[in-house]
Amino acid sequence: MPSEPDGSGMDQFVAEARAFLDEHATRRAHTSDEVAWGEGEDRITYFSTDPPEVEAAKVAAAKAWQKVRYDNGFGWITGPPEFGGRGLSTLHDLVYDGLEAEYDVPDTGVLSLIGLGMIGPTILAHGTEGLKRHYLPAMYAGDVIACQLFSEPGAGSDLAGLATRAVRDGDGWLLNGQKVWTSVAHHAAIGLALCRTDPDKPKHKGITAFLVDMSAPGVDVRPLRQMSGGAEFNEVFLTDVHVPDDHRLGPVDGGWGVALTTLMNERASVGGEGAGAAGRAVALPFLTELLRANGRLDDAAARRRLAELYADQAATEYLNHQALRRFRAGEQPGPEASVSKIMYGQNLTRGAHFAAEIVGPRLVADTGEWGTFSWTELLLATPALRILGGTEEIMKNILAERVLGLPKEPSIDTKSPFRELRRSGRAEA
Amino acid sequence: MSTSTAAMAAADTTRAEASDAELSELRTAVRDFLSSKADEAAVRAAVDSERGYDDKVWAQIAAELGLPALALPTAYGGDGYGVVELSVVIGEMGRVLLPSPFFSTVVLAATAIVASGDAGAAERLLPGIAAGTTTATLTVPDRAGSWEPAAGTLGIHATGSGAEAVLEGSAPLVVEGGTADVVLVVADGPGGPTLYEVDATATGFARTTLRTLDLTRRVARIDFSAAPARLVGEPGAAASVVARVLDVATTALAAEQVGGARACLQMATAYAKERMQFGRPIGSFQAVKHKCADMLARVQVADAAATEAARAVDGVPGSPDPGVAAAVAHAVCSEAFMAVAAENIQVHGGIGFTWEHPAHLYYRRAKASQLLFGGPAVYYERLLRRAGV
Repeated sequence: MPSEPDGSGMDQFVAEARAFLDEHATRRAHTSDEVAWGEGEDRITYFSTDPPEVEAAKVAAAKAWQKVRYDNGFGWITGPPEFGGRGLSTLHDLVYDGLEAEYDVPDTGVLSLIGLGMIGPTILAHGTEGLKRHYLPAMYAGDVIACQLFSEPGAGSDLAGLATRAVRDGDGWLLNGQKVWTSVAHHAAIGLALCRTDPDKPKHKGITAFLVDMSAPGVDVRPLRQMSGGAEFNEVFLTDVHVPDDHRLGPVDGGWGVALTTLMNERASVGGEGAGAAGRAVALPFLTELLRANGRLDDAAARRRLAELYADQAATEYLNHQALRRFRAGEQPGPEASVSKIMYGQNLTRGAHFAAEIVGPRLVADTGEWGTFSWTELLLATPALRILGGTEEIMKNILAERVLGLPKEPSIDTKSPFRELRRSGRAEA
Repeated sequence: MSTSTAAMAAADTTRAEASDAELSELRTAVRDFLSSKADEAAVRAAVDSERGYDDKVWAQIAAELGLPALALPTAYGGDGYGVVELSVVIGEMGRVLLPSPFFSTVVLAATAIVASGDAGAAERLLPGIAAGTTTATLTVPDRAGSWEPAAGTLGIHATGSGAEAVLEGSAPLVVEGGTADVVLVVADGPGGPTLYEVDATATGFARTTLRTLDLTRRVARIDFSAAPARLVGEPGAAASVVARVLDVATTALAAEQVGGARACLQMATAYAKERMQFGRPIGSFQAVKHKCADMLARVQVADAAATEAARAVDGVPGSPDPGVAAAVAHAVCSEAFMAVAAENIQVHGGIGFTWEHPAHLYYRRAKASQLLFGGPAVYYERLLRRAGV
């Protein structure tokens, strides 16, 4: 086999990580392939539907575990040492994740999905020395949760059409507008906000990025209840919020470049994730037990649908294996990673509907029987998978334009001043 | 028999592996050769020829590129590479729909000979196959067409004991059976399904080339009437030989399907960029653009499945179970090629429905190769069984 580069000192790293995990965490009793049908908590969770006090406890546990990681050198494996990182490669990061998956540890998604996965890299790439020193160590130590103040009621897929205004105000800026779909804003200490600073320029050229203190006067976070019942994201109203100029990321009117850094890291983090309760529920071992428990293991129609789903799941997993192999060989992931995200959303959706068909009328109302009504939670989560992190339609545009080189649609909105564009939403620039 | 089986096993362990750079060089070499020798006009001429493929091109593939030898054991004139390398070659052949006895000879017949563990048959047949001077094929005439032979399901019966036998019956669908020099046959023998070798010049051997859906791969019916045959491997041992052939052949076929699907994607994309309607390229309309993106997604996933299966079948460490991976690749690549070949015609509109346009040649190949080893009902059920469900 071709040797895998950048594995320098990997054995020692693995030993060190293993020792750390053995000391601070417990190994999982079951591997992900083992199914204990009818045992344990009867929930198939994708989005949280926890009551506030349970959610608060989980956030506290996440912060505490991140702190332990950080204090032991595993909180920011790829980060520069001057800001609290370990200065190692992405491969080390992947290896650590693989090891940690063997242990029962608190889910740190509230910190990592947005803050550490997307906002951290953006601050690192575009922040001033002062901002980096002030925020990065605190974020990766689990003290500071960050959120992404990007989407607006009038700017969804067309993010550059955002209308939240920032105007000069003494030594800083005054922000006014409304953000939406803001995950974890209700736990966040800071938010990365994209604001319109020059409406007379074309839409991509008049945007500036700021780091907003979420506890500042004028920041109003209101939970947004999802169709699945929980409230993981929010509306954020910004009313005369003062932001000092030293909390600006990148140049004035240069915020689109900052946003692209964040979005690139978003696409890198979505897809490729097969694990989690939902992933295990729609994987072959669990669905096989579902068929067995319902006396359908010999049902030709059910077997055919299961096989079709399994074939696509396995092939998606192979796609991720090979992306990882190429990555280890030094190749950077390109826009074709969108394929993985599309497949992930579709496979999970198909799995939920397959299970629903097997469960039948017992999904209509909670009969109390294990492994039946609990599928509603996943079923109600799946529509979001084809929207969040870029809708399926936008993903297909990316594939067609950036991979296949097909021409863009003629645009009427990228050259005219933002002020003259037709837009949805009520905020006027 | 036991010493020669050991010799074959030893030959197998010396399997060579190409680096990523070498695989890429191999791909370029085959692609360059095929682009000069097997363009669309050449493929159509071969289709209309008597044998169904160009003998001169086949001779060059063997003599100049040495491709039939690539994945054969070194002890019998081969280079000792595996399915990973073979898949690169087959993928390129699939891209241009090369009519050729390569698949039937190298993938079906040679794999069966190696899997049988019969050193005598290997010495007799593999050097000629490696040199490109012998063409061969394999037929498993089970009534379900699923390549899963069981006693009493086969349309050919063998009588006689020891190394010699006599075959009676017919094989209705034999890939490149109209031209193969040697036909390997799974027949109902005294000990159950057994592999035999029949020379195409033997008495009682009659073949009829059939009209085919896929114009670029010939199929023949072969009738055996007291035809003399030679035992290959052990009596009653054909089921396990065919199981190995199926893993290798469906994996190689998956690579071929990905090659064909990629060609369709490229054709559709190129056309969507150049065809102007309503004052702009049709590829700038999202309805067309998303069709192309869907095709790309299917090709990428299929490519991953075929590549992973090849690594698994070669036993590369860290790969999934070969039986599962081969079954996944067979299902996913069959479906992907069919879908992409059909959508390619839609992107082209009316011109894509003409005889002159190559789109139908791919559509034909896609459907025929999807059904070659039994089709969806068979491959989905096989996948579940391989995965233990």
